[in-house]
Amino acid sequence: MPAHPLRVAVVCSSNQNRSMEAHNILSKRGFDVRSFGTGTHVKLPGPAPDKPNIFDFKTTYEQMYNDLVRKDKELYTQNGILHMLDRNKRIKTRPERFQSCKEQFDLVITCEERVYDQVLEDLNSREQESLQPVHVINVDIQDNHEEATLGAFLICELCQCIQHTDDMENEMDELLQEFEEKSHRPFLHTVCFY
Amino acid sequence: MASGVGEQAHGSVASQFYSNEEETAVDMTTSEKVVDLLNQAALISTEEKLIVLKQVQELIINKDPSLLDNFLDEIIAFQTDKSIEVRKFVIGFIEEACKRDSELLLRLIANLNMLMRDESVNVVKKAILTLTQLYKVALQVSLSVSDMQEACWDMMTQIKEDVLALLDSDNDGVRTHAIKFTESLIITLSPRTPDSDTPKKQEGDISLDKIPKDHTYIRYDTLCEEGKLALEQLLKFMVHPAISSINLTTALGSLATLARQRPMFMSEVVQAYETLHANLPPTLAKSQVSSVRKNLKLHLVSVLKHPSSVDFQGQISTLLLDLGMSQSEITRCTPATVQPRKRLHHEPYVEGKRIKMEASLVEDDEDKEEPAPVVTTKPSSSVGTQSAIDLTAEFLLPLLTPDNVANLVLISMVYLPEVMPASFQATYTPVESAGTDAQIKHLARLMATQMTGAGLGPGLELCKARDEEVKEEYGGAGESSSKDPLIIRKLSAVSLGQAISVVGAPAAYKSPITEEAPQIKKFPEPILPTTQPKAPGASGRKKVFKLADVVQPFSEAQIEKLTNMAIKRILQSEKVIAQSGMSHVRVKLLARLVTQFEGGKKNDLLQFILEDMRGRSELAFSLLYHEYNEYLSQQPPSSLDSYEHCLYTLLSGLQEKPEQRDGLFTKLVLEAPVITDSALEVIQRYCEDESRVYLGMSTLKELILKRPSRQYQYLNVLLNLSSHEKEKVRSTALSFIKRMYEKEHLKDCIEKFALTYMQFLVHPNPPSLLFGAGEDTEVAAPWTEETVRQCLYLYLSLLPLNHRLVHELAAVYTEAIADIKRSVLRVIEQPIRGMGMSSPDLLLLVENCPKGAETLVTRCLHILTDKVPPSPELVERVRDLYHKRVPDVRFLIPVINGLEKNEVIQALPKLIKLNPIVVKEVFNRLLGTQHSNTCLFSCASTNLCFGEKNVYTSEVLAVVMQQLMEQTPLPILLMRTVIQSLTMYPRLAGFVMNVLARLILKQVWKYPKVWEGFVKCCQRTKPQSYNVLLQLPPPQLASVFERCPEMREPLLQHVHSFTPHQQAHIPVSIMAVLEANSRKPEPEPQPELHHPEIIEEREVCCNETEAWTDLLFCFAMYIRV
Repeated sequence: MPAHPLRVAVVCSSNQNRSMEAHNILSKRGFDVRSFGTGTHVKLPGPAPDKPNIFDFKTTYEQMYNDLVRKDKELYTQNGILHMLDRNKRIKTRPERFQSCKEQFDLVITCEERVYDQVLEDLNSREQESLQPVHVINVDIQDNHEEATLGAFLICELCQCIQHTDDMENEMDELLQEFEEKSHRPFLHTVCFY
Repeated sequence: MASGVGEQAHGSVASQFYSNEEETAVDMTTSEKVVDLLNQAALISTEEKLIVLKQVQELIINKDPSLLDNFLDEIIAFQTDKSIEVRKFVIGFIEEACKRDSELLLRLIANLNMLMRDESVNVVKKAILTLTQLYKVALQVSLSVSDMQEACWDMMTQIKEDVLALLDSDNDGVRTHAIKFTESLIITLSPRTPDSDTPKKQEGDISLDKIPKDHTYIRYDTLCEEGKLALEQLLKFMVHPAISSINLTTALGSLATLARQRPMFMSEVVQAYETLHANLPPTLAKSQVSSVRKNLKLHLVSVLKHPSSVDFQGQISTLLLDLGMSQSEITRCTPATVQPRKRLHHEPYVEGKRIKMEASLVEDDEDKEEPAPVVTTKPSSSVGTQSAIDLTAEFLLPLLTPDNVANLVLISMVYLPEVMPASFQATYTPVESAGTDAQIKHLARLMATQMTGAGLGPGLELCKARDEEVKEEYGGAGESSSKDPLIIRKLSAVSLGQAISVVGAPAAYKSPITEEAPQIKKFPEPILPTTQPKAPGASGRKKVFKLADVVQPFSEAQIEKLTNMAIKRILQSEKVIAQSGMSHVRVKLLARLVTQFEGGKKNDLLQFILEDMRGRSELAFSLLYHEYNEYLSQQPPSSLDSYEHCLYTLLSGLQEKPEQRDGLFTKLVLEAPVITDSALEVIQRYCEDESRVYLGMSTLKELILKRPSRQYQYLNVLLNLSSHEKEKVRSTALSFIKRMYEKEHLKDCIEKFALTYMQFLVHPNPPSLLFGAGEDTEVAAPWTEETVRQCLYLYLSLLPLNHRLVHELAAVYTEAIADIKRSVLRVIEQPIRGMGMSSPDLLLLVENCPKGAETLVTRCLHILTDKVPPSPELVERVRDLYHKRVPDVRFLIPVINGLEKNEVIQALPKLIKLNPIVVKEVFNRLLGTQHSNTCLFSCASTNLCFGEKNVYTSEVLAVVMQQLMEQTPLPILLMRTVIQSLTMYPRLAGFVMNVLARLILKQVWKYPKVWEGFVKCCQRTKPQSYNVLLQLPPPQLASVFERCPEMREPLLQHVHSFTPHQQAHIPVSIMAVLEANSRKPEPEPQPELHHPEIIEEREVCCNETEAWTDLLFCFAMYIRV
């Protein structure tokens, strides 16, 4: 088992639903965790599929919350967005963009393949310096509340297993294979270097 | 160390420290603070230690570097710390220190070398990371500092080789780090060129181009060769068929970095990508294939974006198309300036390449005067590697006729795997342009790639031949070390045209002699040869086959002998290995080895274990498990013999050992995967051993409870032991069974067993089952007390737990022969008493009393009422039985004191006719009730008996009184008898006085009722009783006066009538009581007020109870007369 707690980043597209759900659970379980989005903007469902609410990453959850309350309190209460934002603002002030974070992690978990690609692209475009490895794992999670909860538990279990390995890097491959079998979903996995 | 993290850490630690500083030690010098912190660090926990050490690092590296030298040794001393994190800190410190003052490397390199060999992989990984940084520092230092010792550099070179060797490490993470080290090493040991895409932060890093050619011990060409070797190793590593997905990913990334930072390697990189794409390792799982392909795509794009990719855009875009990228995307990633040139090479692979190569050669010539001559190697090397494939492809192209292709397909069908490999599934794209020229060329090229990879094909041979030439030329050139090696390279490139590169050809056709020759001549370092054998053996697929060719199999006998010797050595090395802390490995090894071989070795090992079972239990378990595993892995599962033998030997070994107190036996039994029949026999033997019976049966119990699948078999063993001839074995077994009888699921089985055994009693002879297995017993042996008991032990111990069973006994009893009946009656006392008279089943038995079981029922009644009076229910049942079914008066005896008076009187005549012994019992029973508190027969009236003066003479009564008085405690009716006797025979007064005096000695006042009678008697017998009264202690005397105040005065008078001499004998205290007219002595708080009432009451209830006591006396007298 590594002596220090794993430094984990959970990344989805807007740093709202999937990554925050996982952030919530992981921090409750004692992980050193941060969450991010990789999109250029934060997108939340709007009144119609083609009319999403778009914010930039500087907007706080609080502001988004107030904005949506003002726009249509009933709609956003009903689809759970307000509830989600309320949960989010308790965890941190505002969404964060992965590409703007220079902190180093041991483990980056992404919530869909597109995000995984973006994370990889970003990590590979950085100048390598310390050569400290970071493992990137993709766990596909559909972007709705239920799947986010289920996915968060899966991520949490995965992190706990990894945290408990004697030698994370040596056992990761096997561990992921086991998890794939157990959860019946494929994990993309790679290693990058800081 | 991560400098980003490092800086962060520094920042926080620094602030922490400075705030501390303000609070506590303002006037301390930095040096003092460091000393203080170091002293603290020696004593505190790991976490605090790390914080303190980081403070020290901050102080002596950043705040006051002049101290660094002073405290270096103190910090480095922590490299032997128990904590991995502290050791990692030391490595980080070394890195920071050397970066601050590179000359320190001279002193620290040896420590780093030690830490590289740390037992923890995490420390090793950290060391590799640091070495990646410090290798550059070492090189820089060696160049700039003149007095840098050569030894230091030699050591660094050695360490570098060690890290490279770690590419073969067993640990995935270590290999990953080794790859990154290799990447960095290659970059350092190759020249930077204008088209190098160097990260900003590494701008200042040293690289081969900065190495002077005239250094005393840093040899430009040696370094250059080392760089090439490293690349070669990396490429070789990548084609290993069992490479892990993470290593592969890492290597792909490293190659991309190399291609961008050292475009001269572009050719090798693209070549490696191509090979990999066509030969994804078969060991990868499906998702891993997707991950690797994603990475490949990513890195190909990043390589493609580099301007120097121009010559390889064709190959790269083909790969990218295969990886599912659209042409438009590819175009977008291609550097715009070279777009027109791209088309030139894209279409015709082979020819196009040639033209281009010539073109680049021309360019090279032009570049000759330029200061960065290495550029030339890039095209030349690409020419080299491609040419082998190209040549083979060219050779194949005309051969790919439809007939040949069809044949190839048919032949290769045989070799297809049964399941489609994940890598194939992922890479397969339907061939759209089958049969076109372009497709055939593509096919030829694909085949050529494979053939070259496998070391086949005409192109390869040609290249080899040319390689020889290169070698000669190169060897010649190598003579003069001052000569620029680049010239040689160029020479070879020019002269060969498209021949192999010297810089870093793919492993397959690289001749090691090219490098070796000059190296051996110029630089006979002991380090280089160590890589040589490693390089070819490292990971090539071919090598496996070659090994098989070379190695000769041993003969059977040799194998046998060698294995025996090997096992023996491992066996004997017990202590040595234990000291080194690797005994678990030895245990595993032995167990695994031995299970694979038959016979002798197994027994040897078992004997070895049994010599010190306690110390070698781990080995025993390991062996057992391996044996079981072996059994499981047999397809189809065959015999358990081998496992059984192992278990049996171990258990019997333990069983036969005299002193074995610890629970090893239990542990072995409980942890054995399967208990075989023979093992069960050993367990039984163990249980039969009186000194271990408890442990044995506890084990058996655990087995029964925890191995439900065969619990009945185990239970049977225990049940059989319940009739064991040894008392201790039997009783232990019984107590265990009783406990298990509480379990619902075992209940039936136990009961059935007990009843079966009891049923034996109806047989004319005891079944042979009852005699020990080995004993030769005649079948017709008669029943004995012993055999009867054997059949009943279990049953009887269950009886108190399950009263229903009693009916079974009655059934068996009626059928059994007289001898058995007698035995049964003898043994049932305990259990029947245990059941108690309230047991509904017993009452039912009494009520039903099966024919033939009368004696049994009577016996039960006697047992039940032996110590306690019968309950009304029981009396009721017996009465019923007596009146309605079996008019045998003997039934009544046990419950006689529960019967009505008239009933008793009715039965009396019959009773008295019985055997005197029985009558005596009846008396005892009646008397027995006198002792109990339940009845009020204290006021005795003996009118009935005493009327018969002719029978009850004064002599008889005197004897009766004597006997009653000798009982302890005193019978309540004693005084009544005394008074009655006195009434009948006044001449007994003298005797009575004696009795009273004796009663004082027996402290009669302690029995309130007797005491009451005593006082009454004294009252009646005054004045004779005066002398008796005077013998009472003062308080009792006072108590007498309490009851009969009128006695005091006469008694006082009586005393006054004494002679003075006699009076002198009366104690003062007695006199005080006698004379105490006014001051009444307070007697103990007797409830005197109630006495009259109680006596009244008793007089009233006497009518009933009198009958009893009268009866009693009848018997008493009768017996005595």
